[in-house]
Amino acid sequence: MTVLSLKHRKRNRIRETRKDRIFNTFNLLFWILVLFIVLYPLWLILIASVSDPDAVLQAKVLLWPVDFSLMGYETVLQNSELLRSYVNSIFYTVVGSALSVIITLAAAYALSRKFAGKKLVNLAITFTMFFSGGLIPIFLNVLNLGLWNTRAIMILMNLVSVWNLMVARTYIQTTIPEDLYEAAVIDGSNHFTYFFKCVLPLSGTIVAVLSVYYGVARWNDYFTAQVMLRDRALFPLQRVLREILASLTSTGSSDTFFAAYADNLGGLQAALRKAEVAKYCCIVVATVPAVFLYIFMQKYFVKGVMIGSVKG
Amino acid sequence: MSLSSSPLAYRGGIRHRIAMTLRRDWQLWVLLLPCLVFFIVFCYFPMYGIQIAFKDYKAVLKIEGSPWVGLKHFEKFFGSYYCGRMFLNTFLLNFYGLLFGFPVPIILAILLNQLNSKRFKGFAQTAVYVPHFISTVVLAGMIYLFFSPTNGIINHLITAAGGKSIYFIMEPGWFRPLFIGSDIWQNAGWNTILYIATLTGIDPQLYEAATIDGATRWEKIKHIDIPHLIPIAVMMLILNSGSLLQSNTDKALLLQTSGNMATSDIFGVYVYNVGIAAPKAQYSYASAIGLCLNIINFVIIMGVNAVSRKMSDISLF
Repeated sequence: MTVLSLKHRKRNRIRETRKDRIFNTFNLLFWILVLFIVLYPLWLILIASVSDPDAVLQAKVLLWPVDFSLMGYETVLQNSELLRSYVNSIFYTVVGSALSVIITLAAAYALSRKFAGKKLVNLAITFTMFFSGGLIPIFLNVLNLGLWNTRAIMILMNLVSVWNLMVARTYIQTTIPEDLYEAAVIDGSNHFTYFFKCVLPLSGTIVAVLSVYYGVARWNDYFTAQVMLRDRALFPLQRVLREILASLTSTGSSDTFFAAYADNLGGLQAALRKAEVAKYCCIVVATVPAVFLYIFMQKYFVKGVMIGSVKG
Repeated sequence: MSLSSSPLAYRGGIRHRIAMTLRRDWQLWVLLLPCLVFFIVFCYFPMYGIQIAFKDYKAVLKIEGSPWVGLKHFEKFFGSYYCGRMFLNTFLLNFYGLLFGFPVPIILAILLNQLNSKRFKGFAQTAVYVPHFISTVVLAGMIYLFFSPTNGIINHLITAAGGKSIYFIMEPGWFRPLFIGSDIWQNAGWNTILYIATLTGIDPQLYEAATIDGATRWEKIKHIDIPHLIPIAVMMLILNSGSLLQSNTDKALLLQTSGNMATSDIFGVYVYNVGIAAPKAQYSYASAIGLCLNIINFVIIMGVNAVSRKMSDISLF
């Protein structure tokens, strides 16, 4: 039976024309090129991070690790400031995102219902998307509140994103049937019990979407720390990385950053060489969490964008 | 019954109505409260501080006590040499970004849709999204590493081909290509999502009919895919042009060096440099520039939205 249906299908398929086959070949070649452009830089970082510093500096590492060594990672692991900032980042990301998700969902539920004053609240929230006090007034406000240079501001800054709030509201409006609400009300439920007992259990997808959106944004953010923190002990990973990776003036300082452990001149030379590879290792350690989160949560991610594109 | 929102409930004076509403919906307000507090404290409080743009802010005098100086800071800014340069830099960076960056996701989406192998298609889709999750700091770090004049792979390739090594990050002429190129590398794949969704929504019967009529793949793209993508593409174009004077401050800040100031000096970075990073921060002056920019962007977005609503029935609000 299967053989027959397979044969049948084969016979019925319209054969591709010559033009189409040429098109397909070119399209395939195009995509191989695109994937090369997208993935090669990432691959290069990965192999450089496990290669010998000299080979990396002379650009001999092109396709495969040269003289495999984990020296760079050792340097990174020995750097207490990097480790501390890593722990800080995990703290800011986990606590901050959890708080963001809860507050966003509660508000999204409220905004999905009808009540007097809703229009005004909607307007007031949307307005902040298009007009803000600006960097300096925001900075002075935080200063006045006594939150500048504290852990709290790293959690409270960007706590709710208007965009995510709208995504969540649209999700609740479109996926949770109105009948359920009516039934719950008849059974004596109020907004609290309905939200916690009906809405939350049905919101698995949107919780995943929001956690990943908020989580990745927080993990990758350096600008908040740049403006709001001075105390190095509070720095998140990206803020420390900036000094190591993305600054010309501090290239020297990033070298000394890693060279601090060397106690003699020969040691310093070696440390400087190591510092170069350590940069690649830093990139790997900083990027892996976000990319992994994406790969595991892939289906939710795309869904989130789709919910957002439905106008609510 | 206590939760129903019948219009009959709104009767009597305003005070009575508020009392009624609160009695009925107070739980909704409780759920909304943390979110509202956030927006009030972190978005609306700063708006009160905008007044320092018209004052000479001194920390000891606080916002209220600082003396009014009228439009002094605005005059200083518009009279300065940097003003015109910054307008041009901000505009050109966004304009070129749109010009080169806008078509890429559309082309990628169309061609991805034409791939035969389901597995390869899935892999390609996953792969092109990955750079979107890399942080700005790491992206800038990659640029510093790959384009380094001494150890960077790009300059190794250039010298190996007999060329002269280029100090990319210090050259004003290379700031925009680096900025926009890396932006396309990072986000073009992610931006295909909307177009791919549109393409998957097309009725398959259209393709079947076209195949029976002998249409090649190229003809199907031309006569089915592209016409379906035009409305959404136009909408995206209109929305994006609303941000022509907005600046991606954090990335520009990372890629700015003493060498490329001529092109990398854009509004957001200037405000940061003058108002936060400078040893003697000029709060009022920086606020004035920020306020100008905010107003201009607000007007542009409202205008773009009005145009878009008139032309295509698509609007933000």
